[in-house]
Amino acid sequence: MRSSRTRPATLSHLCWFPLTALAVCALACGPAPEVLTFSGSVLGVEGAIVRRQIERFAMLHPELPVDVRATPDSADARHQLYVQWLNAWSPQPDVLQLDVIWTPEFAAAGWILPLDQFAPDTDDFFPATIAANRWQGRLFAMPWLVDVGMLYWRTDLLSKPPATFDELTTSVRSQLSRGTVSQGLVWQGARYEGLVCVFLEYLTAFGGQILDDDGAVVVDSPEAVRALTSMRQSIADGVVPRSVLTWQEEQTRFAFQNGNALFLRNWPYAASLMNEKDAVVRNRFAVASMPSSGGRPAAALGGAQLAINARSRHAASAWRLIEYLTAPAQLIERAHATGQFPARPSLYAADMLADALPVPPDDARRIIDKAIPRPVTPVYTELSGELQIHLHRALTDQERPDEALTVAASQLRSILRRARLDGGRH
Amino acid sequence: MIRLRRRTLEVRETRLAWVLMTPTLALLAVMALGPLVATIWESLFSHDLRLPWLGRTYIGLGNYTEAASDARFRQALAHTVGFTVTTVAIEFVLGLLLALMLDALLRFRGLARVLVLLPWALPTVVAALIWRLMFADQGAPAAGLLDRIVAGSSRVDWLAGPQSAWVPIVLAEVWKTTPFMALLLLAGLQGIDRTLDEAARLDGASALQRFRHITLPLLKPAILVALIFRTLDALRVFDLVFVLTGGGPGTSTEVISMYAFTSLLQNLRFGYGSALSVIVFVIGFSLALGYVRMLEPVREAR
Amino acid sequence: MTALIKRVAMTALLVLWALPLCWMVLASLRPESALYDTTATATAGFGVDHYRALFAERRFWQPMLNSIVVASCTTLLALVVAVPCAYAMARLQFRGKRALMAVVLAISTFPQVSIVPSLFLILRSLGLIDTIPGLVLPYLTFATPLAVWLMAGFFRELPADLEEAARLDGASRLRAAVEVALPLAAPAVATTAILTFLYAWNEFLFALSFTVSPDRQTVPVAIALLQGRYQVPWGQILAAAVTASVPVAVVVLAFQRRIVKGLTTGAVKG
Repeated sequence: MRSSRTRPATLSHLCWFPLTALAVCALACGPAPEVLTFSGSVLGVEGAIVRRQIERFAMLHPELPVDVRATPDSADARHQLYVQWLNAWSPQPDVLQLDVIWTPEFAAAGWILPLDQFAPDTDDFFPATIAANRWQGRLFAMPWLVDVGMLYWRTDLLSKPPATFDELTTSVRSQLSRGTVSQGLVWQGARYEGLVCVFLEYLTAFGGQILDDDGAVVVDSPEAVRALTSMRQSIADGVVPRSVLTWQEEQTRFAFQNGNALFLRNWPYAASLMNEKDAVVRNRFAVASMPSSGGRPAAALGGAQLAINARSRHAASAWRLIEYLTAPAQLIERAHATGQFPARPSLYAADMLADALPVPPDDARRIIDKAIPRPVTPVYTELSGELQIHLHRALTDQERPDEALTVAASQLRSILRRARLDGGRH
Repeated sequence: MIRLRRRTLEVRETRLAWVLMTPTLALLAVMALGPLVATIWESLFSHDLRLPWLGRTYIGLGNYTEAASDARFRQALAHTVGFTVTTVAIEFVLGLLLALMLDALLRFRGLARVLVLLPWALPTVVAALIWRLMFADQGAPAAGLLDRIVAGSSRVDWLAGPQSAWVPIVLAEVWKTTPFMALLLLAGLQGIDRTLDEAARLDGASALQRFRHITLPLLKPAILVALIFRTLDALRVFDLVFVLTGGGPGTSTEVISMYAFTSLLQNLRFGYGSALSVIVFVIGFSLALGYVRMLEPVREAR
Repeated sequence: MTALIKRVAMTALLVLWALPLCWMVLASLRPESALYDTTATATAGFGVDHYRALFAERRFWQPMLNSIVVASCTTLLALVVAVPCAYAMARLQFRGKRALMAVVLAISTFPQVSIVPSLFLILRSLGLIDTIPGLVLPYLTFATPLAVWLMAGFFRELPADLEEAARLDGASRLRAAVEVALPLAAPAVATTAILTFLYAWNEFLFALSFTVSPDRQTVPVAIALLQGRYQVPWGQILAAAVTASVPVAVVVLAFQRRIVKGLTTGAVKG
């Protein structure tokens, strides 16, 4: 009796329960909204200007809303995030701001689109930046902003910058003996990527290379040994203070900015900060390229480039955004706002950047012309990791320079061999 | 006739049972067993998602031999074992104490229960963050307190030292999971027949003697169950370490689940990372089997 | 005398355990500079700035919503699938029952990381990375054995006479189960639902591995990845932690008896 009355109730409850469950779940998975996403440095002054430019772009192209997705400022953290997104085949973000050393890695993994299909005007960009963004002959990212390693020197103590390392050493010795400064040349000597940039500048100055034009490892050449020995010797001689071995960009900047160091090797960002009111060296410094010694003067190339996600659903619109952001008008506006160097050489000649950059545009142009990219290979991060270890060991006297470079070279060769990149041409 | 009827009923019951179980079994086969087998299969290949042009080549046990000679892996293993032994031991003692006290408590049982359950129920991430902040720098509560106890033991930055970073990790784990241990032991305690204990007390046995010779042996099954759960969980620890120290400084607090995760989703070495995960699985599984075998004779005796 | 000592010791232990939680709540209400000020009576204001920043600037309601949806779906589906299975394993006789039960339980001992690689590749090729189903399905892997175990424990304890009576009245086994056992199981279903929901709410590794965009993250992942430009925004992190703990605390407060019962019956019966 009781069962027949409760039967309809329980059975109907049973039927509805799983159906409701499925319905709720189905509702929960909505379709993704159609929007173009940009991802890069969106904090502080950089963030303000890029947002403004993107908003203008959005007004000019109202058919697709544009969204800005923040990423951490730390290069490693941003790199990790990109790797995660792109490896998951996520269609967003559509446009990514890349560090110059990430392009070959992402290109080889098939995560970013080759841009040749959009016929970009590569002639109007610095050749070094275009070369750094090519992988296997194709262009994978557009240069946007340029960073180069520069030699900052004190104009109140010297009449001209040194052209060779010998001249630099002489200047340092004479100023140190006069007591005008307490340190000679400071550069980034901690065990990190910055050290490889500094080494690259010394290496090129002595006529060496990390990878030769065929992609073979030549970092154990006699020129390279001479370059590393020179770095080590300058520490031993007191031209470069021993403390640099734990310093990164900021510590070296302070050393120069407070008037302690005669020379500084750093990126352009430091110049804007040194022009501020309370800087001891305000109006008393200028920039030049690093000296050379048998090779050619070089400036390690850094900077930002823009690439398109290979799985983006709006490749054409993404390209239009990249074109817009890298257009001369926007680059000039950005230079005025942030002091960052544009990647188009023509802008330096025409005097449009007059008060925008923290250093005279001519000086900047001359240094950028000497820019040299780090090895353009997908496994650059691993190569750099190995190289950092041995460079640092040589500088801290744990290994002799020739030993260090021999071991490093064989490690680099096995990395390339394992990745089957040892016969590669690009 | 009757035998035939019984057979039909049995068959019908079996059929019903399978119908009711199929959704679950199918789901678990597809979402758990399948992926596990797939991971084991993947561990036999060299597969680096960052270097797609190398493809996916069969290398047999190559990943496992690499792991055996991988110093970082051995270190992670040592960390995990050390962490497991330490935390399970501490939790067992504290949990037993807590259970004994809760057992004797009559008033405020509800409040005690809530206070004990909250740390257990919180997301591990939250617990990790609380304890990380309490040790974050010299001014932080826990760090400051410890500094006062171990007077001026130089202003230690707990999270920056390779050994000291373990302190907040162990404390956080103990704080979070001792309640669970206590609950299991409490349930065991409450299942014990009190008359034996009463008889012993009347006979003049001290509390300690009663505990050692009556309570503890009868508590053995509950203890074993609690130990199984906690050991397996401690071996698999990930959330807590990831959020508290990220395996740092360097790799000094890295546990094997973290190393597997890093190889997989940060270095994108899927073949190698799969091998590491399989090793974690094998260790956990063998321990579980071992424990169960230990449990069997005890349960038979009951 | 010993009773007093026990009571004091108990209180001390409980207070010690609760301290970190109290500190978390208090600290989340203090300005960044006074974060470590343990004197609760300090006048330097208490305020809800961190909470405001959390919801206004960082849109923390998004992860909250994601977590609620994922946890609810997981719980619903796990129950739908696990309750019949648990009944079969507890009540019905068939060959291989012990082995199957062992397999189902064994699955809950898998280290999560051991199924991440293949699940990642599968979900990626199905386009389910960064989606709700892409999280619910892996969650079910561990939620279902848990639910089966809890419900089986309950069904085993349930006396069989009522169902027997119904069957003698002529009802089939299935109907007896549905009409008699199921309504009686309602409290156990509620307990299982609570514990499953808690598990899904707190889950971290799968959410970290299978979601990539900020708007699809769940609460644990969102809190863990709250990063500032140069410093860690501890105030906001604490506020997020408190926010994430509120649902949990409510559930624990409301259902503490049930939770304890659910955890312990299943465990002791093993």
